Amino acid sequence: MADTTVYAHESVAEADAHAPSAHIEHDTNTGISNTKLAMWLFLASECLLFGGLITTYILYRTPLEGPTPHEIFDIPFTSTSSFVLLMSSLTMVLAVSAIERGDHQRLRVWIGATAALGATFIAGQVYEFTVFYREGLGFTTSRFSSAFYTLTGFHGVHVSIGILMLMSMLFLSLRGKLPEHRSETVEVVGLYWHFVDVVWIVIFAVVYLVPA
Amino acid sequence: MALTSHDEIPTELLDGAVKEYSRDRVYVLTAIFLAAITVVEVMTYAAPDFIAWKGDNLKIVVLMILMAVKFFTVAYIFMHLRFDKKILTWVFYAGLTLAVLVYIAVLSMFRIWFPGRHT
Repeated sequence: MADTTVYAHESVAEADAHAPSAHIEHDTNTGISNTKLAMWLFLASECLLFGGLITTYILYRTPLEGPTPHEIFDIPFTSTSSFVLLMSSLTMVLAVSAIERGDHQRLRVWIGATAALGATFIAGQVYEFTVFYREGLGFTTSRFSSAFYTLTGFHGVHVSIGILMLMSMLFLSLRGKLPEHRSETVEVVGLYWHFVDVVWIVIFAVVYLVPA
Repeated sequence: MALTSHDEIPTELLDGAVKEYSRDRVYVLTAIFLAAITVVEVMTYAAPDFIAWKGDNLKIVVLMILMAVKFFTVAYIFMHLRFDKKILTWVFYAGLTLAVLVYIAVLSMFRIWFPGRHT
């Protein structure tokens, strides 16, 4: 009877487990992986997107009709939301740090915390929009309202996409498909998250705090 | 030997880095610094007499400076621009500079070259 050889096919997770822990030198002209460079290029292009939206808001911040910004803004509430988003940047960078040290338990804790803080920020934004709408500020009420909702709404969509990315990371980590030599994946998601935070730093100052 | 949160992360474990990434303590201190700046920002609204403002223009200048400090602190420390290859800094600055030039062009068009026509 002929010998039969059974070949075990390694799953991705198993193959990852045997992979070397250090990064392999990238075969690119820059020495940086294409993924990371692409994310930075994307973020550079996002500066133009939010730049256009912020410029439009500055031009149209004085409404010709309807409530004015400082009649409806609740600065203490928005300040708390801003603080929550700022702290999510801390938890995000700690998540990146954890996976680069091979600490998967802390990675999951910090990613979960980042997603939770992001969700809190979004919940605050939904609450804020609801209050504004009840106070008579609809999307088409005035040029100010259109510019305001478009700017902050676009930012909210970015945060929501970031939360989905974080949940994907958490799922991958729980499935064992996010070993430390793939820490770059977490770092790239982290870059996106921090960018969303820096955009809010600008929005918070320009939209909410700068006097009309 | 496994790295702990008290260790810097060696560059050979990092992608495109030229310096070791910080200990976690540095990130926590950075977050405290950012929170403190946010408190000062909010003070300009919540306690308008906290500093003897000479009008809104000074307040706007102070807010813009504080905003820039927060922006670049996050970019340099949390986004690791301080530790990564300079090309990433240049890529990001290229987009940022272009965006700022576009703002200036558009705002000057509406405020300087054709003031009042957008109302």
